[in-house]
Amino acid sequence: MGTEKVITRGVFNAIVTGEQREGFCEYCGTRTKKEFYMDGERKRVRMICPICGEMGKLIVKTYSIQAPPPPQCVRFKCLYKFFLDTVFCSLLSTYHSKRVSYATHNRHKDMPERYRSGEPSPQNIKQAIKAIIKLKFGR
Amino acid sequence: MSQTQTVVDQGIAELILLWREEAATGMESIVGLDKATVVTAAVGSTFAAPGSSSAHHTDSGLELAAIDTVGGATVNTAGDTITFDHVFTATATKNLAGIHVCNNDDDVTFIECGFNAVLAVENTDTCTIDGQSTINQA
Repeated sequence: MGTEKVITRGVFNAIVTGEQREGFCEYCGTRTKKEFYMDGERKRVRMICPICGEMGKLIVKTYSIQAPPPPQCVRFKCLYKFFLDTVFCSLLSTYHSKRVSYATHNRHKDMPERYRSGEPSPQNIKQAIKAIIKLKFGR
Repeated sequence: MSQTQTVVDQGIAELILLWREEAATGMESIVGLDKATVVTAAVGSTFAAPGSSSAHHTDSGLELAAIDTVGGATVNTAGDTITFDHVFTATATKNLAGIHVCNNDDDVTFIECGFNAVLAVENTDTCTIDGQSTINQA
């Protein structure tokens, strides 16, 4: 039995992240200023201390999660992989939503840096479940 | 609720107008979305009616402004991606639920993004936006 190739549409894909920081240098307390810089060929912007070059304390960084690519054929293996990818995507979304909410509502509390930066992020279903439980009960 | 971001229908229509060399303008402006609860980005959102009944911020450093940098990049095929970076500096305590990326005429939204959770920004806080959009021929 041959496999049927699924043709997908070209799509517009958008990825956006937001990084919230305090407006004063984490080390010397100076008000940070906008600086343009080159990241490879890309011109970018950041807020840094004009005296020591450090940034303000990170409060929270949001995380852009992309939906898994659609299955390319109708074989069970292909469909099952899509199913697992979808479950992982859902769990990852749940984790980062709870993480961002926790970090932004506890901005003055000490907490593991991973809750503010989102990195390292869970890499599989097992890690995602563990991270959600830890965030909810353990911290 | 996960973070959601999408190129909206209104933005695609504006892009088609650009291709047709009709009256349209490119990506130029950005504005923060004001809502106390999470915003879900939707393809049907417009500049006048942002997703989840949110509203554009009109002050406090989160209002409509020119994007700091807009550039091009390559993800799959040469030049298939537009990139943008912007820093908002808040001047009061506000809820930042997401952003709209708009055209130069400030009447069309290209991209809508609703963050993972509402960011409670305080006076002097900064929020650095890092975004890109790719036309994916997958």
